[in-house]
Amino acid sequence: MSSSQALVRRNFLRNSGIAAFAILGTGALAACTSAVSEQKAGGKDDAQPVRGGTLKVGVPTDVIPANLLTNSGSVPAVIGLVYETLVRYPNDKLEPGPLLAKSWTLAEDGLSLALELREDVTFHTGRPFTAKDVEFSLRTYADPKWSAQLKSTAAAITEYDITAPNRIVLKFAHPIGNIFDLLDTAPILDSETAAQLSTGEKFIGTGAFKLTQRTPNSLLVFERNEQYRVPERPYLDRVEISIIPDSQALVNALKSGQIAVAHSLNYRDNENFAKSDGFTTVSYDGAELQIYVGANVAQPALADVKVRQAIAYAIDRERIIAEVFRNAGYPVSLPWPKSSPAFDNSRNNTYTRDIAKAKQILAQTTTPPNLSLSYDTSYPYSAATAQIVQANLAEIGIGVTLDPIEPATFVKKLIGAEFPGLWVTTHSWAQFTPSTLTVSAYPFNARKNSSHFESPAYVDAADAAWKVKQGNSAEAIKAYQAVSNQLLENLFLIEIGVYNQQASTTRKVHGLNWTKRRETVLTDAFLS
Amino acid sequence: MTRYLLRRLPSAVLVLFAASVLIFLLLRLVPGDPALTLAGPDASPETIAAIRHQLGLDRSIPAQYVTWLGDLFTFDLGRSYIIGGQIADLVGRGLTNTLVLTGAALLLAVVVSVVLSVVSVAWPNRWLNAVVAAANTVAVALPTFVTGVLLVLVFAVALPVLPAGGVPPDGFIARPDIAVQYLLLPSICLAMPVGAALTRFLTESLRTELRKPYVLTARSQGISHWQIVTRGALRNALPTMVTALGLQTGQLLGGAVLVEAAFAWPGIGQLVEQGISRRDYPVVQVLLLLSVAVFVTIQLVTDIAHAYLDPRIRIGGP
Repeated sequence: MSSSQALVRRNFLRNSGIAAFAILGTGALAACTSAVSEQKAGGKDDAQPVRGGTLKVGVPTDVIPANLLTNSGSVPAVIGLVYETLVRYPNDKLEPGPLLAKSWTLAEDGLSLALELREDVTFHTGRPFTAKDVEFSLRTYADPKWSAQLKSTAAAITEYDITAPNRIVLKFAHPIGNIFDLLDTAPILDSETAAQLSTGEKFIGTGAFKLTQRTPNSLLVFERNEQYRVPERPYLDRVEISIIPDSQALVNALKSGQIAVAHSLNYRDNENFAKSDGFTTVSYDGAELQIYVGANVAQPALADVKVRQAIAYAIDRERIIAEVFRNAGYPVSLPWPKSSPAFDNSRNNTYTRDIAKAKQILAQTTTPPNLSLSYDTSYPYSAATAQIVQANLAEIGIGVTLDPIEPATFVKKLIGAEFPGLWVTTHSWAQFTPSTLTVSAYPFNARKNSSHFESPAYVDAADAAWKVKQGNSAEAIKAYQAVSNQLLENLFLIEIGVYNQQASTTRKVHGLNWTKRRETVLTDAFLS
Repeated sequence: MTRYLLRRLPSAVLVLFAASVLIFLLLRLVPGDPALTLAGPDASPETIAAIRHQLGLDRSIPAQYVTWLGDLFTFDLGRSYIIGGQIADLVGRGLTNTLVLTGAALLLAVVVSVVLSVVSVAWPNRWLNAVVAAANTVAVALPTFVTGVLLVLVFAVALPVLPAGGVPPDGFIARPDIAVQYLLLPSICLAMPVGAALTRFLTESLRTELRKPYVLTARSQGISHWQIVTRGALRNALPTMVTALGLQTGQLLGGAVLVEAAFAWPGIGQLVEQGISRRDYPVVQVLLLLSVAVFVTIQLVTDIAHAYLDPRIRIGGP
């Protein structure tokens, strides 16, 4: 290389260096605020409530506006911040406490309920909340187009008697044992803007936060409701919920400080966060979910209850809870969680793993040919559970072919009762009054369900439990035993375990709360 | 020319019409149903029927198609069943995000490829060539979902100096300094394979140019190697690079779908994925038809340009 070439190279490199330095320097000056520093800013770790700040939350799915009353996807995130209900169950029991209703009186015959409402409540539009809003909200909740979970309970309200702006009497077709489940669940909606709810344009409630911006598939922004009925609440000025569909991206967003709360991470990731400095994992106790194996009893291979019993004895529930859910739950034979009035630990161990017994029962009947086991591919724990069940059934001589199905088709097959054999999925609502499960969750519905299971005895047991005046009375508990008997004897749904939803957060987040439906409540939350 | 245009237009319209029918029918052949997605796993048949009626899905397929087509002609793209909001807003927002991301990636790829190619040709060095070749191979071989995770782990988690994903909370314009930081990782991830391909192409083109006689003449006149490369060879190699760039742009848009997922970037790719997985027919229909319309328009414009340049095509000659 000649000296002139070397000189040109030096010049080029020097000029390039100056240019790069200038660009980076200008960038650094322009970027006097680092995006990462901004995300991490929040002060020292201090458990004393602090006013102000923005809490950034990550969730994997967006809210579907038309599903606002279904308690699915990210609906609980919006409901918990924007809306309130008439009563509120504590997370550990089924005794309603006041919320928008101050007090109530259930008639002796169980055929009516008088509610006294708070007078200091306004919607986010500034309009006062009255008894008419209760009627509007419950009637909307009963409308099939909203697909609300406790629709049948709302539909059993035959009359709304408004005796004063803040007093309403609900009259029923028959005593409703789970009426307080409805009042704890149905959000109070603003009748003036309800038409814009299903299109996602306006979400107006009476809650601690107002939804001020929604960018579909990207961002939900909530701001403090300055007129909130509780003085000095909420502490936070703003909540931003980012939609981050990729599980790894969600983990990274939390690790890098881009968000302070991450929902619906894999259980192993939550376990790692719980062990990491600067992070913690919150378990939504009282808002339990259940994982189960369903059986299509119309299929000859599964028609004999002995086959279903053998399957129930073969499943290694302990392993599924330990490996798949990282011990964030416990194995069960019945759907009821520990807080339920129907929970009975002795009967809950009816189908613990016993390979010898499973083989013995199977020997009394025809071993089924290869069974298909369907699962929803959108949940990693469904696939992992299905694989363990497959291995368990192989031990007793039942061959299983795994059948992964994408979510939209899975729901179609579940509702249409189209699964050819077994399936693995989850259900909810067992943490409420036990009769709610059999009138609201379709797989349990006594009259028509995904398993094609029909039994007059089950219909009678479900109806009797629902029509008891008080859902936690001794009479009701006896009725739930009859429902449990039916579930254990017929095994059209084979329960595996109860598990809790979890959220991982940075340690600067305090006061995160939730309802029994997994709705995140941030009224008392603050950032240290 | 007008006659040629009139001759070509009907076939373009026919393609669009056929595409609209196919898109409409194909989406309905896919298993799954928006009413069931909305209803959720615990819904009763009565609830599903009510939702189906509300969405108009209980009408015959031809009736649904005619309504959709009528709405399109009146420029009413309609509302999304499931994602929520006006489809025009959803598409506009998604398209903006995708274009910003791909634009940034393209710019990055072009700048890096020109600099690397010029440097390695202007000062041929065994070590430099080996490093550039190795970097190129890695950039081409690694899929974007792997580089995405690696970039996030290094620059957002381990160090951390840049956001792990998402778009700037206040938009791209309000605070450009923040917007640049949000753009860096996804655009680097998207630009890497394209930049590598362009570098290879441009380096080879420059080397070919340097073997041509005019370079020898320039050298004999005492013009420096640097000037020959930048003022002669590079100028002559750039037009062919533009052709390669056009081809790479398609790959860039395809790759954007994966990068958007990894970096939670709410672009068109994310919108299509959401629409299909939830059976949000109106959104997917519009997006697919838009893709076909863009393709048909490009084809038409290309044909017209060709016809303008070549009279034989215009007059229907050989």
